Amino acid sequence: MTRQEILEKTKKVVYDCMPELKGVEIDEDSVINTDMGMDSMNFILVVCKLEALFDVKIPERQWNKLSTLGEVVDAFEKRINK
Amino acid sequence: MRFSSFRALLEYWAGQTPYAPALLCEGETGPRAVSYRELAAAVERRAEELRQTGKTCLALFADGGEACVVTLFGALRVGMQVVMLSDDLPDAAAGVLLAYTDADMIWSLDGEREAELAPFLTAGVENGRGRLLFFTSGTTERSKAVVLTEQSLCSSAWNGSQMLPLTQADTLLCLLPLGHVFGFVCGLLWGLACGAAVALGRGARHYGDDWDYFRPTAVSVVPALLGFLVKHRLFNRELRCVLIGAGSCPSELIEAAKALGVRVSFGYGLTETSSGVAISTGGDPYAMDVCPDDTVTIAPDGEILIQAPTCMMQGYYKRDADTRAVLVDGVFHTGDLGLLDSDGRVHITGRKKDMLVLPGGTKLFLPEYEARLSAALGTAELAVFLEKNGAPALLLQADPAEEKAVREKLRPLMEELPRGEQIGKIYFTDKPMPRTATGKIRRWEIQKEDGQ
Repeated sequence: MTRQEILEKTKKVVYDCMPELKGVEIDEDSVINTDMGMDSMNFILVVCKLEALFDVKIPERQWNKLSTLGEVVDAFEKRINK
Repeated sequence: MRFSSFRALLEYWAGQTPYAPALLCEGETGPRAVSYRELAAAVERRAEELRQTGKTCLALFADGGEACVVTLFGALRVGMQVVMLSDDLPDAAAGVLLAYTDADMIWSLDGEREAELAPFLTAGVENGRGRLLFFTSGTTERSKAVVLTEQSLCSSAWNGSQMLPLTQADTLLCLLPLGHVFGFVCGLLWGLACGAAVALGRGARHYGDDWDYFRPTAVSVVPALLGFLVKHRLFNRELRCVLIGAGSCPSELIEAAKALGVRVSFGYGLTETSSGVAISTGGDPYAMDVCPDDTVTIAPDGEILIQAPTCMMQGYYKRDADTRAVLVDGVFHTGDLGLLDSDGRVHITGRKKDMLVLPGGTKLFLPEYEARLSAALGTAELAVFLEKNGAPALLLQADPAEEKAVREKLRPLMEELPRGEQIGKIYFTDKPMPRTATGKIRRWEIQKEDGQ
């Protein structure tokens, strides 16, 4: 799977989980924190849906280090294409 | 029943209802029950293994699983001091805490972590029998350890069972981290003290489906988790009781939970009092009845004072001056502001300390947190406050055009913190922070300016 495909799927999951972001453009540089409206529970929901979608797991101890959408994509890309 | 130790609790129920489920865990085809008799026996076996190590102080990375619970009870059974640590604690902070608390043994499901932290182990502790150390907030390397005992925790669980009784037909879902005293007492001990079954939640990934899996009748949650559960309407139809604690909860959220058909109670307590001091049992979730073992009075300046002889901490570990500052002649000065109504019920009205309580239950001690931000950014002209949604935000004297550079400077610090404690929005100002004559930040002016 290409990085672009992973990014697009990730964005779709974020929009599905957070309908309040409709109309807001997000990209790899978007900081996924409460500034965007993503609290810790929403983050867990997004990661769990992505894990199910891509059939890989990101260790929970690494979750705190994922600051931007691009870093989420990096984490999944590394494991999907292993 | 009132118990003085976990051993007494387990032996009692193993004798009374040996085949009743004590724990429900993840199984191959569905929940797997561990009976009270099986749990008591497993604890004895584990205790013997731990006895043979000759170790005296166990640092437990509490993941909330069956092995964790058995090891915890087993360690206390053989007189070890147990240090309760969050499973997501970064290694750097964990190393500092191991040295501070005199740990000479680590338990974690993560073998790599045990190896990485081995150099921080100490020679152990004398006279640690029956002591559990919990941390006052999110466990950072600067946290204070609160010394509690099996007896104080059992008393706290008894308090809870008197206010909100469970029966042996109940299943209490344990979702919260056992490394925090609210999660430990209200997620685990409350159920065991009543002889109910405690379903050990399968971790954050299963917040959405543990309900269908375990079919609980009761649960303890923090406000952030409640918001998630209500938003996604996750409660199962058997659920009848939700206890909220560890932070203030918006009334609309409580009403939304009630509308789903469950009884909602709100609890007030602190790590220093082994958790619960007052719990709402009537229609108003913010009017809390004081638990039987506790006495609440209000100081002339509005501070809530607590006497709780059976539940009170022994003190802060190796920090006598800090202990003396808050525990005076058996009276604990909470730093919270409140009032007692005509029926003697407690209402919380605010905070006296420079502290924020986040929706996830974690406390942010502002002077310490802001000092770390200042060190990262090279300026003291900043302040942290909570937005209406409970997210920590930063007010900074700087040019808004520098936001990207500011976030980069903050990144190493943010990566050390759980997501709920990380700075969300950054507000920029061209003015210095408003301060008192003694240099303290006038926080109320900041909140006012933000329109909150």
